[in-house]
Amino acid sequence: MGPCVSLRNSLPSVSALLLAATITLTGCGGGGISTPAAPVAVTVTGNNQVRLGTTAQLTAAVTNTSNTAVNWQVNGVTGGAAATGTISTTGLYTPPAAIPSPNTVTITAVSQASASSSGSMTEAILNPIPTVTTATIAGLGPNYTVTVTGVGFVSGAQVQLQGQTLAATVASPTQLTCTANLTLAQGTTSIPVSVINPDPGTATSSPANAQVTIQAPVTAAARLLDQTTFGPTLTDIQHVESVGITGYLNEQFAAQPTTLALIAATPPTACTNNLVPCAQSEWWQATLTAPDQLRQRVAFALAEMFVISTNSVNSRAVVAFQNTLVNDAFGNFATIMKDVTLSPGMGAYLDMLNSNKPVTVNGAPQIANENYARELMQLFTMGLYLLNADGTPKLDSTGNPIPAYTQDQVQAFARAYTGWTYATATGGTSTSFPNRAANYTMPMAAVEANHDTAAKVLLNGTTLPAGQTSAQDLDGALANIFAHPNVGPFVCRQLIQHLVASDPSPAYVARVSAVFANNGSNVRGDMKAVITAILTDKEARAADTDATAPGGHLREPVLWLTNMIRGLGFTNNDAVAGNDVVANASYNTLGNFTSTLSQKPYASGSVFNFFPPGYVIPGTTTNAPEFSLENTATAVLRLSLANTVVFNRITGFAVNLSATSSWGTLAAKPADLVDALAMLFMHGQMSSQMRTTIINHITTLTDPAQRVRVATYLIITSSQYKILH
Amino acid sequence: MRPNRRSFIRCAALAATGNAIGLRPFGALNALAQSAYDYKALVCVFLYGGNDANNTFIPYDTSGYSSYAGVRGPLAIAQNQLLPLTPLPNFALNPNLPDIQALFNSSNAAIVANVGTLVAPTTKAQYQANQSLPSNLFSHPDQQLEWQNAAQSGATPTGWAGRIADTLNTTYNPNGTVPMITSVAGDTLFCNGTSSTPVAVSPGNLGAAACSETGTECGARLATAQALLTFDTGLTLVQADDTITSNAYNYSKVLTAATASVPALQTVFPANNGLASQLKQIAQIIQVRAALGVNRQIFFAGIGNFDTHSDQLNLQNGLLAQISPALAAFYQATQELGVASNVTSFTMSDFSRTYQPNSNTGSDHAWGSHHIVLGGAVKGGKMYGTFPTLALGGPDDSGSNGRWVPTTGSVQYAATLAQWFGVTSAQLPTIFPNISSFVSSNLGFV
Repeated sequence: MGPCVSLRNSLPSVSALLLAATITLTGCGGGGISTPAAPVAVTVTGNNQVRLGTTAQLTAAVTNTSNTAVNWQVNGVTGGAAATGTISTTGLYTPPAAIPSPNTVTITAVSQASASSSGSMTEAILNPIPTVTTATIAGLGPNYTVTVTGVGFVSGAQVQLQGQTLAATVASPTQLTCTANLTLAQGTTSIPVSVINPDPGTATSSPANAQVTIQAPVTAAARLLDQTTFGPTLTDIQHVESVGITGYLNEQFAAQPTTLALIAATPPTACTNNLVPCAQSEWWQATLTAPDQLRQRVAFALAEMFVISTNSVNSRAVVAFQNTLVNDAFGNFATIMKDVTLSPGMGAYLDMLNSNKPVTVNGAPQIANENYARELMQLFTMGLYLLNADGTPKLDSTGNPIPAYTQDQVQAFARAYTGWTYATATGGTSTSFPNRAANYTMPMAAVEANHDTAAKVLLNGTTLPAGQTSAQDLDGALANIFAHPNVGPFVCRQLIQHLVASDPSPAYVARVSAVFANNGSNVRGDMKAVITAILTDKEARAADTDATAPGGHLREPVLWLTNMIRGLGFTNNDAVAGNDVVANASYNTLGNFTSTLSQKPYASGSVFNFFPPGYVIPGTTTNAPEFSLENTATAVLRLSLANTVVFNRITGFAVNLSATSSWGTLAAKPADLVDALAMLFMHGQMSSQMRTTIINHITTLTDPAQRVRVATYLIITSSQYKILH
Repeated sequence: MRPNRRSFIRCAALAATGNAIGLRPFGALNALAQSAYDYKALVCVFLYGGNDANNTFIPYDTSGYSSYAGVRGPLAIAQNQLLPLTPLPNFALNPNLPDIQALFNSSNAAIVANVGTLVAPTTKAQYQANQSLPSNLFSHPDQQLEWQNAAQSGATPTGWAGRIADTLNTTYNPNGTVPMITSVAGDTLFCNGTSSTPVAVSPGNLGAAACSETGTECGARLATAQALLTFDTGLTLVQADDTITSNAYNYSKVLTAATASVPALQTVFPANNGLASQLKQIAQIIQVRAALGVNRQIFFAGIGNFDTHSDQLNLQNGLLAQISPALAAFYQATQELGVASNVTSFTMSDFSRTYQPNSNTGSDHAWGSHHIVLGGAVKGGKMYGTFPTLALGGPDDSGSNGRWVPTTGSVQYAATLAQWFGVTSAQLPTIFPNISSFVSSNLGFV
């Protein structure tokens, strides 16, 4: 009894923080009455959770001593250990590499002043919060491989995308993969993905955009190449399979345009007396070898719509015209209209060049030359009749089509286009009209004195006021036409005919002309959007999975020949043969092989192109323009050309179809050879009946080279191949 | 030799009684076969682009020429260069048509004046009131089609030659191994019938497709290729191409066999002349008509570049300078083959051109034109139809630029040729549905 007891009795008043503390009583000393010292107390504070890959800073508060130093322990071990995590002398706890089981450790701080004084805390160790750095989604669909890189992935992690949560295979903390069954629309380039780490401490990463590659099945890849190049190759087919339709189109849209070199002022000897061979040589070489094949194909289609011909136009102008179409192919249609209108090639072909305002000579009045005014509307932009958006003609109350323009409007446009002549050598305005010094490569320039300045009543009530300059009238006239609702369906239907199918359904035409009218960003005439719409439309892609889907078109002679040259791997051997100093002279002669089939590039016999868009196969209602060149005469000539091809007799070129070629090596097994040719030429869709027939026949031949020649001949001359389906 | 109307009537009667075939010896390849019918051929020469008839057939009398020169200005041809027509002193031909002049003067060629596409006889007033006109009068493709189909719109899917073949083929060519119609200028509406299709040949390339394989492989390759043509893919375009290709194999075989051992024609055709190459090929096919088992043939030839909106004098003169000797050589070849009076050639074109020049030394699209018919059966040395009054804004001008309203319909022109060829008046309306709109179905020039 005595004062020693009273201290104990005061304990219940101590605050909750001190509950964990233990208090050691000093004994009451003998020799008299004394007050015992307060025991040293250690309190550990800090976050009681820590994620792998991070650290936790803990603090020890030491009271009742002037020495506040502590020794830190993890699970009773000073400094900790690898399996439990380590702690520094300043209380910075680093969790282990992996979560221990159970996922808690005890962190203890022991007072250096009093070894029996310590404080502890239970620390929970959690999985990290994952971070996604990059992600890719690739596959043919509907199954795709998802690959994610980042930081902090742990076993049991999941991938979250398109509303699904999927188990992932974690290769390392920085990479995981999973397989996903996704619905991805063609054209999708990215979707967001996240990674979820499991418990303990489940957490989701911020989403990141995964780059989507919808790969293409081999048939789709081959068909797309047939639609967008001058001839698929097996290598190209594999590439398109890998990058997919959207990927391939984006590559092609981004590719550098290949233009032709202008014919030199002093032309090469091969063209001294006739420039056409130089233009032909340039055109075939670019067409066959340019990497920007889609752009070249579109330019070719445009050249078959905006027709000019070396038959009556200087080849220098034709070369420049081709470059205009190539450069403008992925721009806006309004730009194409203007650049074509002012090209000296078109100016010469349809007489806008040097078209003078109508004057009276010796009492005899004249009219303005109507040629360009008429054909720009009739053939290039609008057609003869008012059209619905789906390309079908509008009908009046008696069921007849309605003319889109009148003779008076033609004459008005003719006057609007007067005054233009060759630009000066530096592209400026000539002082004389006509300008006798031809400038074949720069846009025409106008001489105002020769421009008709009367008012012109154009389409849809638009009047160009009197007194305008030639440029104002030209721009006004072209804008008037461009705005006409016919332009979308008229132009889109023809582009479809050249790239995909002779006789598209009205619904297909309507879908594409809607894109022409508005590309989604309120722009009219966006060629890139239109081309994408044409090629990705379900009707263009139907035969990817259905070999009997209607559609397709006959390969015109030029395309058929380029298909052979590219597909079979013809090489130009002018250098080897030591031919003419003009490089690649033999490219020029390719046109001679196709001209007997009624087609030579830029040498159409008329402004209606080699084949008119409205051509119907006789005796049917089938619109099939290329069939206008297909008759008993040209069919035989194409067969003869096929013979020339397989016998390696294209002048200046060489193809290896020998026994030691890759084809020849396959020929030991006829089925393998035929299947390889079927993949190259027929998208792997050759019918089994055709396949069996060809295999059976070439099996009767013993020479591998002959097997290759004959199999190739049979395929390339077949109607099944000739129709690009 | 003039067409024998008695033999024609006899043949028609026999055809009606079904005995025509019985009169023919078995085997069309018998070159000495006696035919129940004489032989006739029509040869169409199409001038694509719209030949300026105003500078083809020109007034030659003083006042007529002077008026012509005044209006045509830079397009007028000097009078002393024109080729006078002896039987027709008020008219002359373009200086580049000397052979046509000679044929005209020897009564083997005629001119049909102011002929153009019409639905029915049409006056200037009716035109200006937009009454019942052919569609798209100044559009190249439409007018080419409407001359070829003798209908009022390009939409009619058969040509008048095709319809003649539909009607007459069984009667006249029952054992023919080639179609009645041969084109040497590709596929054209003119040649298409409802049931009949033409054979197209490439001038100088009648033979079969080349084959460089050796031994029996050429035959085997061909057989395999032909087998592939028979497979049904269910695809319309493939089937259409199969048909054309099958016909190609068949006709090239027939034509190669027929022409294999005939002597070359002695007539020399001008070189570097596209129309001449075409007409020469036609003559070579006519040469083997008996081997082909045909009594009636229609041929289509064509050349282009007549759309002379500018630089007309140079361009048109060059083109006419090709036509003249080509037609002359062809006529000579028919004489060599003894069929000069059995073959009638005729021109057609999209339209004529504005009498009023444009500001580019050229002319623009017009309408009524003048065309040439030639052959031994032609009642030549004359102008048929009515020559228009050559006045801008005048009674024959549809407007004010000299686009003449035709006074003869192209359907009448065609019907005249068709009746010479063997179409009966009963058969005419089937082939030319609107012929009854016109007063005369036979202009009498052949």
